[in-house]
Formats: sequence, structure tokens, C-alpha cells
Amino acid sequence: MSASEKKTGGINRDMVMMVVALTLVTAISAALLGLTDVVTREPILEAQRAALQRNLEQVLPKHANVPMDDVIRLSDDDAATPFYVARDADGALLALAWEVVAPDGYSGSIRILMGVLPDGALHAVRITDHRETPGLGDGIVQNRKWIDFFIGKSLGNVSWAVKKDGGDFDQFTGATITPRAVVKAVHRGLEFFAAQRDALLARAAGK
Amino acid sequence: MADMSVSQMSKGEILADGFWHNNTIFAQLLGMCPLLGVTTSAVNGFWMGAATVLVLLGSNIVVSMIRGFVPRDVRIPAYITVIAAFVTVVGLAMNAWMHDMYLILGLFIPLIVVNCAILGRAEAFASKNGLVDSVLDALGVGLGFTFALMLLGSVREIFGYGTWFGYPVLGENYPDFLMFILPPGAFIALGFILAGVNIINRRMGSRAANAEPACTPAAHVVSEKA
Repeated sequence: MSASEKKTGGINRDMVMMVVALTLVTAISAALLGLTDVVTREPILEAQRAALQRNLEQVLPKHANVPMDDVIRLSDDDAATPFYVARDADGALLALAWEVVAPDGYSGSIRILMGVLPDGALHAVRITDHRETPGLGDGIVQNRKWIDFFIGKSLGNVSWAVKKDGGDFDQFTGATITPRAVVKAVHRGLEFFAAQRDALLARAAGK
Repeated sequence: MADMSVSQMSKGEILADGFWHNNTIFAQLLGMCPLLGVTTSAVNGFWMGAATVLVLLGSNIVVSMIRGFVPRDVRIPAYITVIAAFVTVVGLAMNAWMHDMYLILGLFIPLIVVNCAILGRAEAFASKNGLVDSVLDALGVGLGFTFALMLLGSVREIFGYGTWFGYPVLGENYPDFLMFILPPGAFIALGFILAGVNIINRRMGSRAANAEPACTPAAHVVSEKA
């Protein structure tokens, strides 16, 4: 290339070849990506729905509807947090489930799905996504006893902190930050429900 | 990565070279990020390796096909574009059809792009050799990488949890040995594995002399970028 550069100051054959080669390579790569996106878009959505479905079944009481398709939001904005509604055969509200995020985990955000009964008591809690240390912080997923401790808890009947901070929730040996983040996030979720309970129940009933 | 001798190698030698003598992990110590990051269990190591094999196959095939057409000065951006495209394809496919494993491997799938071993094969082998040889090279190197990931994953899972591919092998009451699951355990286990590989190579004799660590010019350039 240096030789041809010396020859002329303007565009030369080598440079054109480079542009052509890179353009073709990127164009073909883009086409490949577009094709893959078309093929995988539906299966990815389905896989995500199946994962959400599995988690919803675990945090909601026995219900007669399909909570995944029975969604209410506090505002008409589609980006607002979706609340999944569980109903009995008569269409009466049994429980609500929604996702909260603990931004202060040991490594990154922890996503938590919580199912709450109309009286403000938890039905169950599940971790849907986390990057906590295997063997330590991931006890929030592996340790069934720990996550089941949330069952039946409400704002009033338990002290919302880990034992190290003077509360009722166990921490794990060598991992306090993770359970503390989860307990805090669920607590915030319940406070939110208490504040917005009437609006949420009205919306759920109005559907 | 013995560039010059490559064209004289037989098909079997290309496979054996990639799988063992110049194994990405054992001989070159490249690709450490996915190696240490995902190998908390044998099954994670296997699927990370499988994803890497697919990317390597795709990139080696395409690079070999376009090798006469891409000018030298822009070959690295062209190769990286090809590799990034295949990584995205594999990531999307895993997300679609192996959703649970995709969630576990997560960040490490897009990071295959910067696995210098893959750009290394494109630069050192596929850009200088024909299609069939490049496929063999991708298979040898890829399977060697998968083997290394599975071996380390197995060691860490067996000693850490007492299980292998999820089945208990050290009895039901094995007390978890956390250190092997945590990052320090990865380094320690890898050290013992490398020692074992060196013993095997010494017993095998002179062939081990070929397995110089990755200091060929090509591998050097690549590892600085990654």
C-alpha cells in the first residue's frame, strides 16, 4: 500500500479494494444477523414466556385464569411495571404478582418476582435473575428454606432486615449483602403495594 | 501456531495439533476468561465449549473462503466482523432453544468475540489454508478447548459439590468444598491440571517440544488486543 500511496495522492485501487471488501463482509454479516433474528425472535419470546409462566405458577396461589395474559398497570403507559393477576373461577382477585429489582446485590441487580395476596401478605417470592457468587450469595436461589421464610410475611408481622441488622431474616455465612438486598427490595415492594393497594385492586376489579 | 509448517501437516496432524499439542488452554493459555468464569460445573463447561466450537467453525470457514479477497490491511476488522456475527447467531440460537443454559452462561456468550483464540485461528490458520484444513483446524482447536473446559468444570464440580453432571459421585453427604466453586479454586485446579498435562507431555517425549507457549508473532498481536 505504501508504494501506491506515493504514486498518487488520490484514490487508488488498493483503497477501493479495502472499502469493497469491508463493505461486502459487513453487508453479508448483517444479512446473516437479520436472518437469524427473524428465525429466533418467536422462539426467544416463547422461551421467555415459558420461564415467566413457570415463575408465576410458583409465586401465585392456585388460580383459574392465565395470569401471564391478565395484566394490569398503574398507568396507561405500556412501559409501566406489569402486575399479573391470579383469579378464581368466578373472576375474583386472588393475588397479584410483579417483579421488583434489588439494585444493591453483591454483583449487579437481582430480579425478584413477588406474589402478594389482597390483604398485603406475601404468598411466595422467587429470584428470577441474579449474578451472585455461586455457593455463597446464590443461597437466595439454592436455599429453599430461606426463600420460603417469606411465605405469609407482611409489613406488620416481621422485622424487615437480616439478623445482622437486627431483623428476622437469616443471612448466609460469608454472604450478608445478597440477602440484605433481597429483603430490602421485597420490603419496598410491600410498602409500594400498601400505598397503591386501592388503585391496584380497583384496576384489577375493573377488568 | 507453527505457521510455516502448517501446509505440510497431514489431516490427522492438524486435528491432533489443535486438540492437544497446541491446545488453546493447556499449551497457549489463551481464552482464560471463559475458562475461569463458567467452569463451576462440567455441564456449563461443555456448553460453553460447544458454543465456541460453532463460532470457530463458522469463522474459520468464512475466513478461509474470503482469504484471497480481503486485502491484508483490513483483514483484522473483516475477521472480527465475521466472528462477531457468528457469536451473535450462536447467542440468539441459544437464547431461543436453550433458554436456561443461556441464562447461566449469560455474559460469557457475547464475550466469545474477544476470545483471542478464535481471532488467532483466523489469522494464523484459516487465512492461509484451504476450506477442508480450516474446518479440521476449527474442530481440533474447538474440541480441545471444550475438553479443557469440561475437565476443569468436572474437577471443580466433583470437589466443590461432590457431583458430576449433576449426579452425586462422592456420596450424598459430601460437604460442599466452596473454594473450588469460587474463583481461587479455578486457578488452583487449573494449576494442577497444567502440571498433569506437562507430566503427560514429558512422558510422551519430544513432541512436547512443539507445544511452546503462545509467543508466535500472530498470537502475540492477538492477545494484546483481547
